[in-house]
Amino acid sequence: MTDLPVKIEIDGKWANAKLTLGTDEIRVTGPKSFAIPSKSIFDLDAKGSVLGITTKEQENQPIKIASVDKVLSIVKRHILATCNAYRLAAYFMSPAVRGGVLVKDARWEKGGIDVLKTGIWFFSNTEQICVPLADVASIELTKREVQGKNTDVVKIDHIEGTEVVTSFVLCPLTTLQILHNFLKDATKSMDMEGDLDPKSAQVAMLVYSGMDTASIENMLGVSLKEIDRIYDTLIRLGLAEVVMVRREVKLTTKGVRYITDATKV
Amino acid sequence: MGRILIVDDTLFMRTLLKNILFSGGHTIVGEAENGEEAIAKYQELKPDLVTMDVVMPKMNGIDALKNIRAADPNAKVVMCTAVGQEQMVKLAVKSGAKGYIVKPFQAPKVLEEVKNVLGA
Repeated sequence: MTDLPVKIEIDGKWANAKLTLGTDEIRVTGPKSFAIPSKSIFDLDAKGSVLGITTKEQENQPIKIASVDKVLSIVKRHILATCNAYRLAAYFMSPAVRGGVLVKDARWEKGGIDVLKTGIWFFSNTEQICVPLADVASIELTKREVQGKNTDVVKIDHIEGTEVVTSFVLCPLTTLQILHNFLKDATKSMDMEGDLDPKSAQVAMLVYSGMDTASIENMLGVSLKEIDRIYDTLIRLGLAEVVMVRREVKLTTKGVRYITDATKV
Repeated sequence: MGRILIVDDTLFMRTLLKNILFSGGHTIVGEAENGEEAIAKYQELKPDLVTMDVVMPKMNGIDALKNIRAADPNAKVVMCTAVGQEQMVKLAVKSGAKGYIVKPFQAPKVLEEVKNVLGA
């Protein structure tokens, strides 16, 4: 049994409490004392220093606890090892690639993977990394060189802030296939039906790379009207969203007078 | 900021990299479409850094990298390849590549990698 100091949210207010991590349950001792059966936990999310624990009993109101990183890491590891999840022992590398650049100190971590309701968790003694299913951009069963051998791995591309991050999972092939199929199914809504015309695909690639509208216009030699039409297609297909609307203006007579006056010697 | 030679067989990729690197304050001293041209341009332009595609006609990026490094052991080359060719990384690093970018890439990370290699 381990006792950990945390803060727990009760009726919108944070209160000091103690968590006791047991084999089958987590006991909360504080202004309101109760037990969370480990097997009733089916989702976990982490935002900064706050953990949201979703249980069968409180499906729409996750139990929120806050603490320092060290404590949260112990809690996460315990929950991920005991909760109700599709779990497999695996090696993982996350992140392996960030924005198209290989992460220099990336290495294989021995641990596990939990697939929960809203996210995939990679966890080991030192790392607990969550990839929300809504942020999974692509899943692929592919090969990667591991210790000199071409080995089957699942490659997961996900969005982290504004960056596209790639992670790899390594475990026996049959398990990889199950994981791959499961994740494919869970993120089916992200699949694109059909294909884009070559010009639209080029525009999408340039947006991915971080180019703005003016740069795309110059690079592809297409009009703003044409870019707008392509943006409309990307937005309609759910491939892009508007983040900013730029405006073009012309000076009024008053503006012209100001400039004329301002440039007088 | 560096003087950079961009090597890629597709105009689209060269233009994209040119835009990204230019936006980061770098000077694009030249472009090449294949490994042979890259070696010639490197000798002629002596850039601070080369971004080198791997799969190209006439001579691939790895062979071009080896040639450039043989002529100039201090040459800074960042390899640039498509998803699925990551196995090339080891070979490229063994051959002297200082960095590696996987397509598709995002501008801020490319600039960060180039900055790291130039500063190394």
